Amino acid sequence: MKNIYIAILLISGLSLTNPATARTKLVALPERENTIIRLDHPDVTLIQEERTLSLHKGVNQIDFSWKGVHIDPDSLRLTILQHPDSTRLINVSYPPNEQALVWEIFSPDNQQEKIRISYLLSNIDRVITYEAKTNHQENKLDLSSYLVLRNFSGESFDSALFQLDYGNDFEKSILDGETRRMLFFETGNLKIRKIFIFNAGIHPWEPEKEKQTPGIPVSYELENMKNNQLGQHALWGGKARIYQNDAGTSTIFLGEDMAGFTPVGQKMTLHIGDSRDLSVTQHKVTEERSNIRRNRNDHIVLYDSNEEIRIEIENFKDAPATLKVIEPMQDEWDIKKSSHDFKLVNSKEIEFELNVPAKGKSTVTYSYVRKNIRS
Amino acid sequence: MLRKPLYLLLTGLLVWSTAVDAKIDLVTLPARDKTQLTIYNSADLTLVREQRTLILKKGLNRLEFGWENTLIDPTSVQLYAPGNESKVRLLEVNFPANITGSAVWSIESEIDGPVAVEITFFTSGLNWRAFYMGTLSKDERHMHLDAYVTIQNHSGEDYENASTRVIVGTIHLLDEIMALAGRDSPYNRPGTPQYLPLTRSESDVRLDAYRALGVAEDMAKAAASMEVKSIIKEGLSEYFLYTIEGTENIPDGWGKRLPSFSVDKIPVQNLYRYEEERYGKSTQRLVIFRNDTVHQLGKEPLPDGDIKIFKHVSKDQQLAYIGHVPSKYIPVDQEVELDFGAARDVKIDPVLMSEKSENYRFNRHGDISGSDRIQQWEIKVENNRDLPIKIEVFRNFNTPYWKINNQEENKGKFEGVDIDTVKYTLDIAAYSNTTLAYDITYLEGERQNANH
Repeated sequence: MKNIYIAILLISGLSLTNPATARTKLVALPERENTIIRLDHPDVTLIQEERTLSLHKGVNQIDFSWKGVHIDPDSLRLTILQHPDSTRLINVSYPPNEQALVWEIFSPDNQQEKIRISYLLSNIDRVITYEAKTNHQENKLDLSSYLVLRNFSGESFDSALFQLDYGNDFEKSILDGETRRMLFFETGNLKIRKIFIFNAGIHPWEPEKEKQTPGIPVSYELENMKNNQLGQHALWGGKARIYQNDAGTSTIFLGEDMAGFTPVGQKMTLHIGDSRDLSVTQHKVTEERSNIRRNRNDHIVLYDSNEEIRIEIENFKDAPATLKVIEPMQDEWDIKKSSHDFKLVNSKEIEFELNVPAKGKSTVTYSYVRKNIRS
Repeated sequence: MLRKPLYLLLTGLLVWSTAVDAKIDLVTLPARDKTQLTIYNSADLTLVREQRTLILKKGLNRLEFGWENTLIDPTSVQLYAPGNESKVRLLEVNFPANITGSAVWSIESEIDGPVAVEITFFTSGLNWRAFYMGTLSKDERHMHLDAYVTIQNHSGEDYENASTRVIVGTIHLLDEIMALAGRDSPYNRPGTPQYLPLTRSESDVRLDAYRALGVAEDMAKAAASMEVKSIIKEGLSEYFLYTIEGTENIPDGWGKRLPSFSVDKIPVQNLYRYEEERYGKSTQRLVIFRNDTVHQLGKEPLPDGDIKIFKHVSKDQQLAYIGHVPSKYIPVDQEVELDFGAARDVKIDPVLMSEKSENYRFNRHGDISGSDRIQQWEIKVENNRDLPIKIEVFRNFNTPYWKINNQEENKGKFEGVDIDTVKYTLDIAAYSNTTLAYDITYLEGERQNANH
């Protein structure tokens, strides 16, 4: 349904101070010609449409109305394309209580003039979705990306050129109320890494005491790099659904996640589900005060605490597992001894990365001092 | 009567985007050749795979897919042509304005004629659960275990001759499939969140409701619907896939119960545990076995589900019902711990025999700044059963500042668990009593600091 109208008022040179006169006679309804819909902004959509006006010599009033259409009126721009030096936009007026405006254009002659109207239109956008399939070893991924156009703007576009910030422009029609899902790109054999993540700040330390077997989150990491058949452009965020081939000719659904916007060179992480075949049990096994400092009343005002953590990991799976163990750290801390290398994530967090053999166990112990604890 | 709200129509050379009425130009109505259901139990989700044969023309074909009155997530619908992936491609799905429950596919084909395709989509309303029946031997040293899978269909769709698979595992989902099925606009409207975080409770409530329905219907229909079929099991990623032999008819509203496995003479251990912080003052009865080959198991993980426990009480197979207990998911090689609740015939009673304080410390004002509190404990254990049993006694001290003095006979029975917990493990003969004694010293105030 067309709700945007453009019309040239019959009598040129009318004063808009007389609204009854100014809002009446329509002469011509120039059709949209080239229409470009830019979808590169994450929040708003820019429409640029060209129309040819039949202008009279003198001042012409061009009525542009958008009843029921979600146009940002402050974003409306008119560009004169054919005779920008002699044909000039001289005034813009907003009629009361209407979704409309009136442009006054001065034309040196009776002539055809091509103009471009640009505006920001709400409730028309695109979302990106992904479908992916992993191989049995879970080290390769076939990826399909879909572009979903959604138009609930109140305006229909019979034919428009859609532009994104990457990929080829394409021509489509889209009616008001319509949604179209299109295959956007496909690529195969992408390298992925499967990781398990135990966060001691979130997950239970003693899984055997839980009523249900706690799961360890499982994610795939995918690098948006040229050496991984990607890296041409950023990957937009969107819902990603991941499948895996089974032993036959079918697939199972592994899970879904909301992929984040992933610039070139960065990593996309997709949480697919939780593993209950990996068990992590954590205990604090030592806590002793030291370096006690007192005030003149002999009260303790400051002390250090020497602590030791033991983490036992058991892999019940037939395949080795790469496990990240995230350990929150409190206060001013200093690691004294660790059975494994760790990475400093930030001042409040360290991270171990372990390769736990199939059907195997690993134990991590680390001791640290928490300094200058106030009583 | 079977209902078939799901339909496929091939339309002619139509342009839906400009002519909605064009869908009346029906060319072919392809029936399902085969259907495969993959049912999840951690979420209200089933992956449906249908095989159909489409008669396609070279070039662009348009096909209408309808799902009115079903619980299908329209955003999940995909079409593949196995073996002809590069020749037949689903280029676009169009959800027309003001029409709900149907979409138009644009399929590009290099093939002129019949093409076998697979259509996959998610639906809700189908679910499955595992449950078990365990039968202990008279001496409680062994258990016979029967495992079952029950499938329920409340999807609004009848599934005939469906190859049926169930998935064990915890899947990550952004949306409830049922919520996606009920949307006016499949991908929502601009300005609305792309997904709404799942509310576990709502999902659980719905699953519980299905399961509650299942219990009643199982009981009524088990005899009629149960067939002895084998289940093929396969591990995939973090999931375990059970494929039920052959095909099943699962009409809307019906359920199926299928045997999963039956294992005899699983060696089990009777364990009694006392831990006040976890169980209160009662002694907990547990039956322990391991999901491994030594225990005649270990071929697959055991999905979570209730276990009804019986016991042989006479030589002529008379049974006594002990109770039902929930079982957690158990990976292969992990120990299974069935918690039977409070025990009546094994008593564990920790008794504080004496308490005293000493080693006082004073600050410069003469006020008390620290001391030791010494307690003598006796853990009195009574086994009133006709079986030898194993007992675990956990003691939690709720402070890292303690010293324990075990009597000589406790050596070998004691282990530290963590900073404030210790454990004693005892083997107790049938109809016997024993006492476990220890002294514990709590360091308080300044005594907690080194050199004080």
